[in-house]
Amino acid sequence: MYLTETQEQVRDMARAFADEMIRPLAEELDREESFPAALYDEMAKLGLFGIGVPEALGGPGFDTLTYALVMEELSRGYASVADQCGLVELISTLLVRHGTERQQALLPDILGMRAKVAYCITEPEAGTDVSGIRTTAVRDGDGWRLDGGKIWIHNAPVADYGFVLARTDKEAGNRGMSIFIVDLHAAGVERGPKEHKMGQRASQVGALNFADVRLSADALLGTEGRGFHMMMSVLDKGRVGIASLAVGIGQAGLEAALDYAGTRKQFGKAISDFQGVQWLLADMAKDIEAARLLVHSAASKIDSGADATKACSIAKCFAGDMAVQRTADAVQVFGGSGYIRGFEVERLYRDAKITQIYEGTNQIQRMIIARELLKKGARA
Amino acid sequence: MKLLVPIKRVVDYNVKIRVKADGSGVELANVKMSMNPFDEISVEEALRLKEAGKASEVVVVSIGPAKAEETLRTALAMGADRAVLVETDDAVEPLAVAKILKGVAEAEQPSLIIVGKQAIDDDSNQTGQMLSALLGWAQATFASKVEIGEGSAQVTREVDGGLQTIDVKLPAVVTTDLRLNEPRYASLPNIMKAKKKPLDKKTPSDFGVDMSPRLKVLKTEEPSGRKAGVKVKSVAELVDKLKNEAGVL
Repeated sequence: MYLTETQEQVRDMARAFADEMIRPLAEELDREESFPAALYDEMAKLGLFGIGVPEALGGPGFDTLTYALVMEELSRGYASVADQCGLVELISTLLVRHGTERQQALLPDILGMRAKVAYCITEPEAGTDVSGIRTTAVRDGDGWRLDGGKIWIHNAPVADYGFVLARTDKEAGNRGMSIFIVDLHAAGVERGPKEHKMGQRASQVGALNFADVRLSADALLGTEGRGFHMMMSVLDKGRVGIASLAVGIGQAGLEAALDYAGTRKQFGKAISDFQGVQWLLADMAKDIEAARLLVHSAASKIDSGADATKACSIAKCFAGDMAVQRTADAVQVFGGSGYIRGFEVERLYRDAKITQIYEGTNQIQRMIIARELLKKGARA
Repeated sequence: MKLLVPIKRVVDYNVKIRVKADGSGVELANVKMSMNPFDEISVEEALRLKEAGKASEVVVVSIGPAKAEETLRTALAMGADRAVLVETDDAVEPLAVAKILKGVAEAEQPSLIIVGKQAIDDDSNQTGQMLSALLGWAQATFASKVEIGEGSAQVTREVDGGLQTIDVKLPAVVTTDLRLNEPRYASLPNIMKAKKKPLDKKTPSDFGVDMSPRLKVLKTEEPSGRKAGVKVKSVAELVDKLKNEAGVL
């Protein structure tokens, strides 16, 4: 195996934690749509948030491949839990790369889950096409005034800080957007109701409205006008995270299906004795393994400093499609039971669907892959 | 006060073990290995004593192949301060292990040795007792509670009739039972830090111990399969079977 001893050690720890502490809670968290605060406190103590944050800034300082290993295992326990880990990873990566010393002072609270964060990009008119955002930040004295609104924001109902993409120059296109760190308890911030989603239902998602919210000068993250580029700079890592999460969902489905196929009896024998079921299991296993290897390869590319854009899009696209198709197979192995609430595979199928949508739809991933392929001088 | 915790690398408790085709032992090729679960409990107990201010240093030691270094790193990632690997590819039997541990104890001078009551591979349940005898130290086996006093330790033991609490003079050897504690997960920052913690390498000859086996394995075999049960039609038939076939009434 190409993993280092330390990477295996981290993966084994995350695997044991997911088996013992996360997976047993998943059914209830899905049913109740509740935010597992106690579980996140426990994970924070174990350093499972902000995996890539360097030791000097209070994190464990692991590479992207280790992050991918952790994301798969957490997601095998429950995708919503992994997605929280992914969210903190993105925000902390932004802070590490672009934050001032004062802004980075937020990191210990963010990694310790004492401060919850939200990454606020999407708006009604700006989903895949981010340049359509209408939220604006206008200079006001030495600070800013923020107006507008965001939708589908992960953690919006519970977050303390929003990392908000806003337009600071109407004429400058992609060079006219900036990211602001917004105290979500400030005057003028209004939270919309919690959305009720198809899957990953423990992830709290909702809208945020900003009406004349006053921001101090040091709310600006990095350079004015570079918000879009900063956002893009963490996309590769984000895609590796979501791809790993999709692999974890698929793996959980395979494990459940294997277990069930070995015990469910029809015509006097276990259904795993029938070739029709065996082929379902084999197809699940081969696609999960392929997706996992694509993810590890993309993560290693990021770690080596190479251009990883195509590899990350391939991994995210393949893993998301795989998760939907192969959890559908898991439901098929379970038959009628797989269609019933309370059976794990029923939840997994619902949890998988969003992995084709968020962190860039899989249609956009295909456009990126094609664009990279068609670049002058690119190697297919 | 220094604590010494011996740990063993064994087949992971989740692995469904298979007997080798020639019956010479258990198949170890490509099998996941990890820390003996009782030893995890020992490490946890030592760390808790240190965190409670009862001990100043936790030293872990393993006797086994080079790969046992990974197992030691796991203990260091849980929080142990440093490690000693006594490297050998020979089969490790309780007596030789106890003799090596005696040598380690003489070099390290711990006040307490906390060792798993048995390893889940050979289930010998002998090393702790032999070690205490070789050192001439007190022993408290099958501990479910350990309290450190002035120059002594109060240990609650799991015995057939229930719980027995004894007082042992330090230094002593304590062997740990399943219900002593629940071992922690190694945190990610501690896994990173463990890479930089000191790990000394020794060999059995450093302690003048002859590893040649005293035990001979005659045969290893799978437990025989369970026979199918039978359904009885009435209570009378059940009682009759219990009396005349099972002979338990």
